[in-house]
Amino acid sequence: MELKRCTKCITPETHETIMFNDKGICNVCDNIAIKENIDWVSKKKDLDQLIEHYRGKYDYDCLVPFSGGKDSTWALYYLVKHYKIKPLVVRFDHGFLRPNIEENTKRTLRKLGVDFHHFTPNWNVVKKLMLQAFLEKGDFCWHCHTGISSYPMQVAINYNVPLIFWGEPSAEYTAYYSYDQPEEVDEKKFNRCGANLGISADDMLVRFRGDLDPRDVKPYSYPPLKDLRKIGYRSVCLGSYIPWDVKKQSKIIQDELGWKGDEVENVPTQYTYEKIECYMQGVRDYIKFIKRGYTRPTHLASIDIRNNRMEREEALKMIKEYEGKKPKSLQIFLDFVGLTEKEFYDVALSHAVSPWEFDMDSTKEESKKMKDFDAWFKGEGLTREETEVLLNRL
Amino acid sequence: MVKRRLIPKLLLKLVQFGSLKRMVLVTTVHYDKAVNVGDPVSQAKIYEAQSADELIFLDIDSSVENREIVIDIIRKVSEEIFMPITIGGGVKDVDDFRLFLSNGADKVAINTYAVKTPDLITQASKKFGAQCVVVGIDYKKMHGGYKVFIDGGKEETEYDPLIWAKECEKLGAGEILLTNIDNDGVGEGMDVDMISMVTKQINIPVIASGGCGLASHFIQGFNAGADAVSAGTFFCFKDQSPIQTRAHIANAGIPIRLHK
Amino acid sequence: MIGIIDYGMGNLLSVKNAVEYLGFEAEIITDSNKLSEYQRLILPGVGAFPECIKNITQKGFVNTLNQEVLEKKKPILGICLGMQVMASIGNEGERVNGLGWFDAEVELMVPNDKKCRIPHVGWSETMCKEHDLFSGIKITPEFYFVHSYHFNCKHEKEVIATFNHGGSFTAAIAKNNIIGYQFHPEKSQEHGLIVLNNFITKSFN
Repeated sequence: MELKRCTKCITPETHETIMFNDKGICNVCDNIAIKENIDWVSKKKDLDQLIEHYRGKYDYDCLVPFSGGKDSTWALYYLVKHYKIKPLVVRFDHGFLRPNIEENTKRTLRKLGVDFHHFTPNWNVVKKLMLQAFLEKGDFCWHCHTGISSYPMQVAINYNVPLIFWGEPSAEYTAYYSYDQPEEVDEKKFNRCGANLGISADDMLVRFRGDLDPRDVKPYSYPPLKDLRKIGYRSVCLGSYIPWDVKKQSKIIQDELGWKGDEVENVPTQYTYEKIECYMQGVRDYIKFIKRGYTRPTHLASIDIRNNRMEREEALKMIKEYEGKKPKSLQIFLDFVGLTEKEFYDVALSHAVSPWEFDMDSTKEESKKMKDFDAWFKGEGLTREETEVLLNRL
Repeated sequence: MVKRRLIPKLLLKLVQFGSLKRMVLVTTVHYDKAVNVGDPVSQAKIYEAQSADELIFLDIDSSVENREIVIDIIRKVSEEIFMPITIGGGVKDVDDFRLFLSNGADKVAINTYAVKTPDLITQASKKFGAQCVVVGIDYKKMHGGYKVFIDGGKEETEYDPLIWAKECEKLGAGEILLTNIDNDGVGEGMDVDMISMVTKQINIPVIASGGCGLASHFIQGFNAGADAVSAGTFFCFKDQSPIQTRAHIANAGIPIRLHK
Repeated sequence: MIGIIDYGMGNLLSVKNAVEYLGFEAEIITDSNKLSEYQRLILPGVGAFPECIKNITQKGFVNTLNQEVLEKKKPILGICLGMQVMASIGNEGERVNGLGWFDAEVELMVPNDKKCRIPHVGWSETMCKEHDLFSGIKITPEFYFVHSYHFNCKHEKEVIATFNHGGSFTAAIAKNNIIGYQFHPEKSQEHGLIVLNNFITKSFN
């Protein structure tokens, strides 16, 4: 079936927060237009002042949440090179880091010379959270979204580092915030943008009804506002102060830091800089296609169209070729969560976003194997018994 | 003219958690099969951030012993959220109204006792204003027609929902919360026929509830005439939030508040 | 310190919570003699006009309010029914006198469009004039209203915002230090908090 798409980019009606104006242009395109009218000179001055306000007063000048992907690498590079600050770099390990990203990270950290704090949560808890979130929200990445957003805030409190710099503002891809709205990266944003899928760590405990130790969800818990206010926290997006341009930035980190891109499941080969840090990305994208009828190629092509790097017709052709393929990594995911392939489709289909209807018969051939596929850690998943406990909850 | 409203429905229930009892939020199917979904204060904050228009809290145990706990939750909720809150569940007299209204609630919903002592609607409306009085009407398809049920869907009455809704309006209700029990928690669409009938024949606002499983169901409810649509299961078990659903509804041409 | 007047009617807790959330101190005032201790006053109100004015009178607030507001020019914000009692006359159930700070009558809303139901409950777009109270709002805001009666003001320049519900009705009033919002700022999320903040921080002469 055909979805209604923006007449400028190709984002469809099933994209979260999308609205079309009377010309059929979407609000994400509109939002980007605001970006062009922002007084970036004045914003840069604000950034200068912000950094000076915190410089030298604490063990670290700021905290930079880091994944090793293009955005956080760029943010770290920019802050260290341009401002010569001393950051604490914090990574929350979602469990699926690819070999290339580990190498990129090591190289970046050594070239820039920074302290690195890496945390990996309990896998036995993670796999339960993955299945729970997939069953009840159609998105298995709850632990990652919440961990990445919450854990660095806890570190900020523990190490007393009040200034926190995130990367790109959400206005780059969605309309939860408009470009000229101040975007503080606080709990309200966390709740608003649905990063936690509308479920806090406390809610997750309730859903597990005592089957999880409250301490087990601590890494995913956003700290109370009063604890953050005590350290005088400021949690902001670097992209609110400097214009974000992923293509330009990716080139710079490649040239200056030797950062290497990677091929990604079911994404056209020219996009080697996008979402290369997670080997569950292929499954995540596939689920999105089943639910919403579009996935990463649409997202990337739309960004290119907005930046005048691609024509709309070309984009439509490209997504026809790349979207909807079953990822080779699917079986790895099924083993992690103890589901059969049929159960997987049943669950994903139950989360369809209207009016999209996924056609099971249209399931195209499996995607090709990624070069590092054999190195991805597999197994140690839930037992069927454990899976059934969660399946029987509803 | 007012915009149409999106109102998450939050069902409160006291549940055993290991050795402790805790008041949590649940969803139901046909007013049965309660499934835990979250902490009341946490969920209220999330809905506030996601620009829900109002919240409806219903204590489905409706027990007087839990009153203190429910009040405590409403007080905590009203410290952090700034949108209208309706509370219901076991409200039986004007004193109950006063208790909730003075502890953070803006409106109070009555259901069973509206049927048992209809004068309560008039008394509450006179004392606190009609806008504080929401009458909940739960119904099922029965014996070739429709019947109103009370006591959490357990007891059948002889009333027809449409006739009862008209009566409630006469008695002074400010709004009607109309729920089809057969559709509750099933996610296959709303009872657009009943919504259409009721909204055509009464002049007070109607909040329709029961059956939303897709954003398009909300649209159907609004098109049938509902002033507001209330959903419980939908926001708990779908990758959808009020902000996202709102955009779908606006795209269908229905006047709804946009989240900015 | 903001004083929120308790005369037995009104959603005091929500108003207090909103003021504190914005970072200011607020106290509930039950003793009419204590009004002078506060820098700004808020008069909330939920219920019916006759009972409201009766309570305000019986609890002894009328004289002290007139003193603080009319003579000392202390900023005061009336919310919903709290705004309506500032009128000269109310016609809800019975015809009674209000505080008389505005030459206005409170009357039942009669929309000229059948689709517009009474009570007017929900979020309505509000057309705001240029005023300090709306500073920081960049688009046409929507506020939460819940009422059946409206404020019919004789002097148009005292009406600083209107809403449309089968006709144009008063959404906000301002006369020097006396401000009124028909909607509930403490229930109107972001925009509500902005206009509440503006009442607390702006100067009114």
